[in-house]
Amino acid sequence: MSRSPTYSGMRGIAEIPTYVVMQPTTLCNLDCSYCYLPLRARERAMPVAVATAVAEPVNRWAARGRFSVVWHGGEPLAAGRERLAALLAPFDDRVEHHVQTNATLIDDAWCEFFAAHRIRVSVSVDGPAAHNADRVTRGGRAAYGRIRRGVAALRRHGIGFSALCVVTRPRPGLAGELYDYFLELGCDVLALNIEEREGVNTRPNQHPGADVTAFWAELVAAWRRAPRLHVREIEWSLRYAAAVLDGTEDEVLPRRLDPIPTVAYDGSVVLLSPELAGFQDPRYGDFSSGNVLTTPLERILAAAAATPWIAEFLSGVEACRASCAYFGFCGGAHAANRYFEHGRFDATTTDHCRNSKIRLLEGVLQHARTYEPAVARG
Amino acid sequence: MPEPTSQRSPEGDEDLADRVHGARAALTALLAEAGIARQRRSEAADEGSGAVCAWNHFENIPTFYNWNNRPR
Repeated sequence: MSRSPTYSGMRGIAEIPTYVVMQPTTLCNLDCSYCYLPLRARERAMPVAVATAVAEPVNRWAARGRFSVVWHGGEPLAAGRERLAALLAPFDDRVEHHVQTNATLIDDAWCEFFAAHRIRVSVSVDGPAAHNADRVTRGGRAAYGRIRRGVAALRRHGIGFSALCVVTRPRPGLAGELYDYFLELGCDVLALNIEEREGVNTRPNQHPGADVTAFWAELVAAWRRAPRLHVREIEWSLRYAAAVLDGTEDEVLPRRLDPIPTVAYDGSVVLLSPELAGFQDPRYGDFSSGNVLTTPLERILAAAAATPWIAEFLSGVEACRASCAYFGFCGGAHAANRYFEHGRFDATTTDHCRNSKIRLLEGVLQHARTYEPAVARG
Repeated sequence: MPEPTSQRSPEGDEDLADRVHGARAALTALLAEAGIARQRRSEAADEGSGAVCAWNHFENIPTFYNWNNRPR
């Protein structure tokens, strides 16, 4: 008889998130080929009134426990220090702030700003220069040199940082190269996103399964040789594997879905998948669940399931629960991947699931089956 | 106690949980190494300013790397 359980997590949507994503500006100074964001060539700035409205519940949530605000974009640093400082001002000191940045604007002044405001930094970079061909300026020039200068500034100031790497074509031979690169780059944390087909990025993301599995297996092997980095994908895979071995795999998933409110520059709120912000669909409208300038965020969250696409998405989560052996590891396909790959929210397996969840776990298992510790090799 | 089902792995003929259990020895060694690596990283880091939010790596990885959905 199968040992796989029916998992009890991810039922419904939590009314209090663990973090809020904020879009201080739609503008990005880069024009990466795979970017999913619309409006990134235009500068639409978030008014302070939006931040003030979001800070009201966030300050109360942060008083109860850890709570984060993620300044995303566009490129959040394109908002400028003065505007970003004004947007940060309504938040209490106990709120943790993060930026996801392309690093090209980071200089000494920004490093001093990060330190003064205790902002945690994550840098988007795809590995060595040759792997950053998709990361270009609006004039089509390579951004890599500017990214490295930004990273050098962080290191000069002793600011720890995460790295977020997009992998366009996962294949054998690549993961080891990437891991060695990020060891040298000096990040503390590494996360790898296999490129996704979503938003305005319509490039296909189907890859030979064996190649993707081999990529992840090779990443585990590379990490094992020098496990100095916290690698998101490895940590989560091992967490699940350990729970399966302990018989506690039903405790891995959160009990309810984190609503992850994304607050766009104009105060509109999109829940669950930030990638849906800024899009329109004849059937689903603009995907928003309200606007913080007219409705308190808590009230928007309490009524989340009343948003038509979210009701359909919750049906999709149940379909994943009923049909996929990997549900306990994954928690269900992400909303944006369902929509941009299948055109609906109640479809199940996506290419993102295959590349970034199923083959990841299979890669860890493949590594475990084949790895021969150095000591055993004598 | 979770109820068993007959779900099968799309990528393998054998049940996923069975395959994890089948790799127990190798996974146990890997998990032990990962545990040591986490301790070494936490000892070397400044909890207040590092990129990792806190040093319970399973629960408090940077919140914007939320596994079950996250911005890119």
